[in-house]
Amino acid sequence: MAVLATHLGTGEAQLLHPFDGDGEGAAPALCDAARAAARDDQSRVWNSPEGAVFLRVYNPPVQVVLVGAVHVAQALAPMIGLVGYDVLVVDPRSAFATEARFPGVSLSTEWPDEALARVGLGRRSAVVTMTHDPKIDDPALEAALRSESFYIGALGSKKTQAARRDRLAARGFDETALARLHGPVGLSIGAVSTAEIAVSILSELVACLRKGSSSR
Amino acid sequence: MPAKGVFESVSVEDLYHEALVRLAREATGAGALPAPVGGAAPATLQGMATIENPLCGDRVTVEVRVEGGRITALAHRVRGCVLCEASASLLGRAAVGLGTAEVEASRRAFAALLREGTPPPPGPLAGLDVFAPVRAVASRHSCVLLPFDALGAALARASPPGTAR
Repeated sequence: MAVLATHLGTGEAQLLHPFDGDGEGAAPALCDAARAAARDDQSRVWNSPEGAVFLRVYNPPVQVVLVGAVHVAQALAPMIGLVGYDVLVVDPRSAFATEARFPGVSLSTEWPDEALARVGLGRRSAVVTMTHDPKIDDPALEAALRSESFYIGALGSKKTQAARRDRLAARGFDETALARLHGPVGLSIGAVSTAEIAVSILSELVACLRKGSSSR
Repeated sequence: MPAKGVFESVSVEDLYHEALVRLAREATGAGALPAPVGGAAPATLQGMATIENPLCGDRVTVEVRVEGGRITALAHRVRGCVLCEASASLLGRAAVGLGTAEVEASRRAFAALLREGTPPPPGPLAGLDVFAPVRAVASRHSCVLLPFDALGAALARASPPGTAR
């Protein structure tokens, strides 16, 4: 995520990485403005005390990786596309990750940790596990928790969520790391159908992208 | 006491019993085959196969080296459940020295153990009885047979090194 700040009075330009490092010598107010523009995905003019500055945002696309080619994923994948994010569905169970079940959706039958290492997770990545099979979900969650992914969610009940946290804690993830894990996944909107569950997940994901956290 | 039927369920503790989990953790033979010391003997055949279970995602790769009709080295890589890992580990422990026909016979003995509860014959694969509790869970039979199927496929493809099919 980079922002090119051009002082419109002087033409002087400065490349900022507002979420990384020490601010690269830029004024804290400029860093804050650049961070807000980057988070909003919106280039804009910022009126600094020294005059107008054009903030040009260069963001990679948001990429959502859905682990588990399940029913909720069938509803969620096209919704993610409509919102304008990239989506990849990963499921080593090749009977589920099929073009017939996911027309036009990017699919991978790799094991999730292998797929995520290949794709590369960053600040614009989100990972949602949905198989309910720890053998498949846990390696994906471990990879996500080791990355800067802005959203990490795991489908499953409160009970399975507690067991999942215990397993991840046993693998060395502390409270701070586990606090990043959203589970039960999604905003509490009373979702009943698979499509409604997909809406609740997508809503929480958007909240984390735009506000830095969900507001449940 | 009611008779134990094929469809009787088995507890998680009985299925993943200690000896089976230990066998999986040992992961005997896990990894890749090292290059033969001093190069492959002229009569050596080598084969490799990967097979998967499309319903559970388990994936097993078996590499095998054969000389004079007998397995001289075996290595496996498993992405799968504990049952699948344990079965591959058993192969890593027992497969060296077996002939092709013996591998086929052991696959049949394993299937018979799972299907009918027939005790495994004495010999290198007597340890198969560790999988007896799997018999009660038909949906997991393929988990434990997968490494044997991968070995069968690797043997079927065995050819002189450098001529891999």
